[in-house]
Amino acid sequence: MLRAFADRLAATALSQQFQNHLWVVPTSQAIHILCICVVFTSALMINLRLLGVGASGRSISQLTGSLLPWMWAGLVILLLTGTVQIIAEPVRQFVTPAFWAKMAMIVVVATMTAVFARKVRANAARWDASSTRPAGARVFAIGSSILWIAIIVCGRFIAYTSAFYT
Amino acid sequence: MNLHSVLVSLQNLWLSSVVRGDIPGTEWVFPIVETCHVLALTLVFGSIVMVDLRLLGWTSRATSIARLTEETLPWTWTAWVFAAITGSMLFMSKAVTYAGNFEFRMKFVCMALAAVNMLVFHFGAYRGVAQWDLARPPAAARLAGGLSMTFWIAVIFFGRWVGFTT
Repeated sequence: MLRAFADRLAATALSQQFQNHLWVVPTSQAIHILCICVVFTSALMINLRLLGVGASGRSISQLTGSLLPWMWAGLVILLLTGTVQIIAEPVRQFVTPAFWAKMAMIVVVATMTAVFARKVRANAARWDASSTRPAGARVFAIGSSILWIAIIVCGRFIAYTSAFYT
Repeated sequence: MNLHSVLVSLQNLWLSSVVRGDIPGTEWVFPIVETCHVLALTLVFGSIVMVDLRLLGWTSRATSIARLTEETLPWTWTAWVFAAITGSMLFMSKAVTYAGNFEFRMKFVCMALAAVNMLVFHFGAYRGVAQWDLARPPAAARLAGGLSMTFWIAVIFFGRWVGFTT
């Protein structure tokens, strides 16, 4: 069923347009990578700060306040450029488990980050002082870092695993 | 011994054939090395662009530039070394092809320009950082930030294009 949908999507006029203009996919991928840089570096900076490494000049609430807007903006552009790549090559994306694992992990990490952001906003003082910071902060920091790395790995492996399933 | 023969002998090394996946059991080496390259470069670009945006005065205006630079530079260099090692491994696998590729050459021209820009900034405008550490940087510093961001964005674009043209 998924394969049938992918085939139908690949036959649409828009998908054909993307496929015929050979610059569309590489350009979209390059913008995708630029946004990954912004999102991943920001996430890692916040996570390391939660674990007590680096960025000691800024409190958790200052750091999240300045970095999270960039992360959300980056994520929106990632979804848009990702959608362009899905429309251009739907079969390549939909057939491989690497794509679905990536999507599932994005939902999890985005939800985790939204919950984390809300908690920091609700009680900045508690999160800024390392003595009162919830124990969950470390779990979040480690979990989110692992998820972002796994998302990038899966993203790159879509290209290498698709051939097995088509 | 001319450049071509050097490239050929580089390509004929045992490690090159391993990265290329020529030896049974090494088929996944290239994708793994490439994924490590992507992970490393996200941190290189992410940390550089954070300083560039601050130099341009677009973000983190309350953060000291000297402090931000001090905190991010060790990460930039560590990640850059990883990117350079993994990048060299990728290059070895198809040295002749990459060396003759236009996008590959342009990527290195842009990286050289970024290096020159960094040196000019470091030994020029940055020496007076104490005067504008917490203010809007002078024109020379803003220019350095803008140029750095432009060159590195170009590096990523050309880098992604190499994958489509080799």
